[in-house]
Amino acid sequence: MERIVSDIVYVGTGVLVTLQLLVGAICIGIVGGLLMSILRYRGTCRSLINGMVSIIRGTPLILQLGLIYFAVPGIFGIKLTAIAAGIISFGLNSSAYVAEILRAGIESIPKGQFEAAQTLGIPTSHMWKDIILPQVVRNVLPAMVGEIIALLKETAIISMIGCQDIMRKSQLLAAEQFVYFTPLCIAGVYYYLLVLFIEFIGRKIERSEKYDKSI
Amino acid sequence: MIKVSNVRKLFNEITVLDDVSFSVEKSNIIGLAGPSGGGKSTLLRCIQKLDKPNSGTIKCDGRVCFMFQDFQLFPHMTVLENLTYAPALKNKTSLPAKLALEMLENLGIGSKADAYQRQLSGGQKQRVALARSLMIKPDILLCDEPTSGLDVATTMDVVTLLESVRNMGVTMVIASHDLDFLIKISDRILLLKEGRIAVDISPKETDNPVEYLKKFYSLPPQQFVETLKLSSF
Repeated sequence: MERIVSDIVYVGTGVLVTLQLLVGAICIGIVGGLLMSILRYRGTCRSLINGMVSIIRGTPLILQLGLIYFAVPGIFGIKLTAIAAGIISFGLNSSAYVAEILRAGIESIPKGQFEAAQTLGIPTSHMWKDIILPQVVRNVLPAMVGEIIALLKETAIISMIGCQDIMRKSQLLAAEQFVYFTPLCIAGVYYYLLVLFIEFIGRKIERSEKYDKSI
Repeated sequence: MIKVSNVRKLFNEITVLDDVSFSVEKSNIIGLAGPSGGGKSTLLRCIQKLDKPNSGTIKCDGRVCFMFQDFQLFPHMTVLENLTYAPALKNKTSLPAKLALEMLENLGIGSKADAYQRQLSGGQKQRVALARSLMIKPDILLCDEPTSGLDVATTMDVVTLLESVRNMGVTMVIASHDLDFLIKISDRILLLKEGRIAVDISPKETDNPVEYLKKFYSLPPQQFVETLKLSSF
């Protein structure tokens, strides 16, 4: 019993690393995805962005992580820490998916909303910030929660390059004790609890007054 | 106030507006009549610069605002926010809010200031859309089908409202299918058919303007019924 408690605590020390990866990647993913989807909607660099999204979605994440962690330093002579490489590659990967989610969201807004903003003399930046994006966010919230959950689980790939996240901690424990069942189950429970938490936050936003009252 | 000269507009080689020219004096109300697809909406959209004519010029003196057929209120904002958002970008005081509340009160929807668009009836949305347009103090107001989906009584209200807007010195161009409404409100009616101005009349100086205008709407009902009989229905 005591052993299980200490195992839980040990794997738990990886939660912070996993969360660091997740939050960093979400930030890059949302900013990057937003930028890509707005630029693409306005027709700026459309084929470049389409190509990037296509390549990012068309190759395995583990390969992208390997490229950024092992290959980029070799070419450019910059040494990245494992966590930095993780945040960058997960963030870039996520930005492609976020861009696609937001594209659907932006295209679901009637053209008349853009035109109404234009006829009222609302500047473009304000139109996106206050008229279009708030409506887009409401439309894509469920899909975005799904993307964040997928991202959380994908961060487990970081264990490949030795970053001590939940997954890696459980692997270390397993290697030490020659038992896989308990450490992996503990890691699974941690991931599942984090997913439940993300779902809870998502539902909370969906039910918030401002979100619920309009439309 | 508005000067439209030789405007042509094509959509994929289909001519929607064909050499349209007219001008509008200040504080006048121009009605645009004509069958569906005649080019009414496109003409309004060109005046507002939402669409660009292929050739010809449109000159407007002062600020132009457009009232959409489906209102296009911002659904995530309250009625008050819809009204104040654009003017508040330029005037950061509490003046826009004060003005908006006053306007809503005058339009008889003062109690709806905190409502969202989905909580409004068609007539109320119409008033909010009108109020929102007036908040930016336009010199020219373009209305696309302002009475579509409204009952007779509400249509009468719209007539009164638009007349009071005209008395504020606003020039208006109104596209509508509702001939009775147009005749009641317009100083001049242009009938657009196949992209051209087929009729240009002053309804007050024309005998029985409804009958006169109706002649220009193709496929009279009787012919339509005959067509139906011939087909396999």
